[in-house]
Amino acid sequence: MLTINGLDVSVEEGTTILEAAEFLGFPIPTLCHMEGLTPYGACRLCVVEIGEGPAAKLVTSCTYPAEEGLVVRTASSRVVRARKMVLELLLASCPQSKTIQDLASAHEVRQQRFKQEHEDCIYCGRCIRMCEEQMMAQAIGFQGRGEHRALGTPFNKRSEVCRLCGGCMYVCPACELRCTYNEPDKAICGGCANLSPPCLEVNTFDDMMCYMEPCVACEIEKNPRDKTPKD
Amino acid sequence: MERLDTISDFRILMDRLAANRDPRVPTVVITAGTCGQASGANDLIRAAKRELLRRELAGEVRLRITGCHGYCEMEPSVVIEPAGTFYPKLNADGMVKIIDAVVRGNVVEDLLPLDPETGERVRTQAELPFYKKQTRTVLARNQKVDPIRINDYIAIGGYSSLVTVLEGGDPMATVREIKDSGLRGRGGAGFPTGLKWELLAKQPSDKGKFLVCNADEGDPGAYMDRSILEGSPHSVIEGMLVGAYATGATEGVVYVRAEYPLAIKHLTIALRQARERGLLGENILGTGFSFDIRVVKGAGAFVCGEETALIASIEGWMGEPRQRPPFPIQRGINGRPTAINNVETWANVPVIVAGGAAEFSKTGTKGNSGTKIFSLVGKITNTGLVEVPMGTSIEEVVYEAGGGADSRARIKAVQTGGPSGGCIPVGSFDLPIDYESLAEAGSIMGSGGMIVMDENTCMVDVAKYFMSFLKDESCGKCFTCRKGTQRMYEILDDITKGRATLDQLDLLEELALVVRDTTMCGLGQSAPNPILSTLRYFRHEYERHIVDKRCDAFVCSELVGAPCGSACPIGTEAWRYIAHIERGEYEDAYCAIRDANPFPSICARVCNHPCEDKCRAGTSGGEPIAIRALKRFVTDRIDPAVYEPRREAPIGSRVETVAVVGAGPAGLTAAHYLSLKGYRVTVIDSGAQPGGMLLGCIPPYRLPREQLRKEIAAMLDEGITFRGNTELGADVSIDELFDEGFQAVFVAVGAHKSRKLNVKGEGVPGVLRSMHFLKSYNLKGENLARGRVGVVGGGNSAVDAARIAIRQKGVESVTIIYRRTRSEMPAYSEEIEAALEEGIRIETLLSPARILSEEGHLIGVECVRNELGSRDASGRRRPVPVEGSEHVVPLDTLIVAISEEHDVDCLPPMGIELTDWGTIKCDHETLATSRRGVFAGGDVVTGPATVVDAIAAGKKAATMIERYLRGEDLARPAEVRLPDYYIEPAEIPDEELESTRRVRLPACRVEARLADPFAESALPLSVEDASREARRCLRCDLEFTERNEAEVACAEARGEAT
Repeated sequence: MLTINGLDVSVEEGTTILEAAEFLGFPIPTLCHMEGLTPYGACRLCVVEIGEGPAAKLVTSCTYPAEEGLVVRTASSRVVRARKMVLELLLASCPQSKTIQDLASAHEVRQQRFKQEHEDCIYCGRCIRMCEEQMMAQAIGFQGRGEHRALGTPFNKRSEVCRLCGGCMYVCPACELRCTYNEPDKAICGGCANLSPPCLEVNTFDDMMCYMEPCVACEIEKNPRDKTPKD
Repeated sequence: MERLDTISDFRILMDRLAANRDPRVPTVVITAGTCGQASGANDLIRAAKRELLRRELAGEVRLRITGCHGYCEMEPSVVIEPAGTFYPKLNADGMVKIIDAVVRGNVVEDLLPLDPETGERVRTQAELPFYKKQTRTVLARNQKVDPIRINDYIAIGGYSSLVTVLEGGDPMATVREIKDSGLRGRGGAGFPTGLKWELLAKQPSDKGKFLVCNADEGDPGAYMDRSILEGSPHSVIEGMLVGAYATGATEGVVYVRAEYPLAIKHLTIALRQARERGLLGENILGTGFSFDIRVVKGAGAFVCGEETALIASIEGWMGEPRQRPPFPIQRGINGRPTAINNVETWANVPVIVAGGAAEFSKTGTKGNSGTKIFSLVGKITNTGLVEVPMGTSIEEVVYEAGGGADSRARIKAVQTGGPSGGCIPVGSFDLPIDYESLAEAGSIMGSGGMIVMDENTCMVDVAKYFMSFLKDESCGKCFTCRKGTQRMYEILDDITKGRATLDQLDLLEELALVVRDTTMCGLGQSAPNPILSTLRYFRHEYERHIVDKRCDAFVCSELVGAPCGSACPIGTEAWRYIAHIERGEYEDAYCAIRDANPFPSICARVCNHPCEDKCRAGTSGGEPIAIRALKRFVTDRIDPAVYEPRREAPIGSRVETVAVVGAGPAGLTAAHYLSLKGYRVTVIDSGAQPGGMLLGCIPPYRLPREQLRKEIAAMLDEGITFRGNTELGADVSIDELFDEGFQAVFVAVGAHKSRKLNVKGEGVPGVLRSMHFLKSYNLKGENLARGRVGVVGGGNSAVDAARIAIRQKGVESVTIIYRRTRSEMPAYSEEIEAALEEGIRIETLLSPARILSEEGHLIGVECVRNELGSRDASGRRRPVPVEGSEHVVPLDTLIVAISEEHDVDCLPPMGIELTDWGTIKCDHETLATSRRGVFAGGDVVTGPATVVDAIAAGKKAATMIERYLRGEDLARPAEVRLPDYYIEPAEIPDEELESTRRVRLPACRVEARLADPFAESALPLSVEDASREARRCLRCDLEFTERNEAEVACAEARGEAT
């Protein structure tokens, strides 16, 4: 029995806050989480606030088990502030992912204040867990730490155990559904329409920074901040 | 080694060992931890062994090789027991002498350490200030045992705590004992150890439980764990055995950094010996209790100090944390309950069991019992490990045990807790060191690293350093830690390079707060601490970097360029003229000086040379280049005519005219540069001649009048009119000046009124104000001092007054009376030296309390002694009057030179606002006052300052007045000026750079000086000395100019290729 956003809910032992919140219909954004894979807690997007007063803290709802008497807030100002910053950071590093664009857009992230990068991976570890837990292959894993963290096969040699199943790519939130359309009517992302992409803010924009090439937003409107979302 | 099968076997052995350890036999104790060995302890050991064998002294003198005792500054060192004699920084020859002395029962006087305050030799270790403040319950064992001999440890009562709990037979009683002691985790978080043990004891034990000793000590600057493991590994083993008995743990692991080979070696030996003795392993001492410990070497990642990452590493996985809960106490190594404690925590356990919880909790404060070891490093005199009771103030640790700053620079802050910790500014040094107070102040206890920082430490750079460490050491698993640390580093890097904006500073803070809130483990949650705590206490430093593009600590090289150049208020490129001097190009050198400074030969004599204070040859541990003497060398031999000032417009080509009030250095400089811009300027002064303070206050033996007049005359070109004997207020007002047709006015009237002492009887004849005394002598040639002269004050005008007084006829003696200590006197040290040479006495820690007179004449001053009290916000100790110390100093003349203030009462009626301190209120960036068209600068704005500051104000005024007259915006964004003029450096061998010392500045003999009061006391350098001194320059400019040079060369090469 726990309380989420003021609603009491009883769940089975072992249920996570994320599952309980979804059961109640409170949406919590996630990136590294995927049903069927072990909770990992890496992307920090699913943070929720638990506890009261000075003891209140943010925890990742995908890993935190529901406890008796727990008080959870899934969209407090502290949670929203944290999520927006996480999305801004993601957007700054991996702007070409449609998943990230959509999330940023949905959470009203309207600017990106860091130096623009275009990394291919957000190191959420979905592919590795997929490979290990669902495909039973353990073909890939993490290497290095901090800035030098990378993803690959052991010693970067061609894997003997990889069956080229493609599961790793299928679950990747950074490379799935990259927006490649250049015809406005076929644009699927919608993110660019709501978000002010870095390309419009900086003169030194490099085409590489935007995967949406040519970006629909750029074509339609030069100042998307004033723009109302298209229906 | 004989195995002990029962507790009584152990007792028999302990008694036998203790009996063998005759405390009267002299023992030579050599400290040979990693630090000792690195500084040469192995040579001492070799020398000692050879000497003992050669002289067959094995029975008479004992030798003990131990771990580090903590006084790392003094390594390699030796202690002689039982006398406690301490010999620091020894070499092998000294070792031989000491053994000889030990045999004879003597001490080697020459090798004893000196007391920094009294200057006397200190005979025993306990008398050293470093040890006096300490309570060494844990570290003390390091001196008493050879870490690789278990018998040493047993002889001093080791393992008896284990025996006590085994005999007691009640594990929960031991847990209670630890709980009652109030011991908290020494690794940093301060979780109550007893509570942790209780939680572990309650866990189901069907599959076994683990105890872990966390020796993955990775904080930069912290090394107490290493020292304990190296010096006293058995105390950690004993602590873990007690813990295992109390909690029912079955396996122990010591997770130790692979970078600590000596600790691993000693620990491995200790574990083997403990096993052989039957103190570890199966059926310990025949009691049926079994517990074994293995060593796991860390994989070298900082994050492995975090408990879940440490567990992953022990299990053989990548050292990455996982999200808690479940906590290790529920699911730890291989899914079994695991309790992790730090090395120091374990080492405290035997102490608690041996002495009892009540005894232990007497030390320290409530809720923070016992002692804590700190590693004191950074800008501190006594680098080393300090063990003090919890609740001791930072001040006591830093200034008393640590001995204060290691140089003249003032201590600014300490950083505690390593990369996860924060900085505490000197103003909060009265803070008691305990978990809560440090957390309150925005830092953490951490494992006990304490990095002392002084004025030459840039707090932005410190934050950047830690962030650089953390971005490399973040495991990268959780996104906000990996990317957050990278982005925080990126912004900090921009700030230190002058590329950031204030918006980015806000972003940095916003990001830091989110990272603290959202990361997975302790590393990420505490990673923003270096930023948040420096922002809390040193935000102005960040803003200085961003807005003014200045790094006041002269660390951030992209803002500083060559420190000499950026330290100079007028931007004189000292490196440039020094390079020219080295090449013999004296005219070029003169031009480099004159480019920035209209008063080169005056500054060559009286400048306070901030360039030398910041010179990297000095701040990096050596002596600064004698820059002012080199300037004097050039200005003395070059005709000023070689320099043609750059005239922007013909004289008087502009219609607007400017009035400058005050013909001191600020006013004249402003007039000069305005005239070069084509404006006609009228300089108004109350004196008959231009010169201001330079003429009235600086004595001729420091600044010959001929030089002064020449330099001023050269500046007064046809565009400048001088109107003397005209005083602002009395003779002319601002309104009248505007009425006369001046479009702008620059007020630079200086600070000419000496402050009063404010003691009884100050109006008596014989009591003189320093300004009056100096001006009467310098301008009118009057000798006002007679008989016994006292000068109150410690600044330059006090020393000037004293030195002038001693040159006057009828003066018997001169005494300077100063309320603080000699080292705190603001006067230039060379002036104080010269005064002492001339026979002037300096009485410090003395304040005048009452002026005594008889028949309307001064007969003396009643003075009161001061002693040093608590420290003020600047870290200086306040002088506090000693009651009953009043005594009379008989005097015929008393000169009051405590400070100068402004004579500006006439200004408010003219529409110019003043500050609460009586200075003119003006914008420090633009020098604009509250009245339109009126600017102010120099001492009248800043309070008494230096000549070069006044010149800087004059230059700025000229720029601002020009902008004002042209109707432009006054304030402009700051720009960084880096060296851009390449001068080929000389090839100087490293040996020469290392061997040459700062040139001794030649001075006129004392007798000659006193015989002719006008004789200049400082003499110029010879050509050889000047060249040698110039060759010592480190040429900080090349870092920038060589880069440009290389680019130009590349561009040329490309140009040729195409």
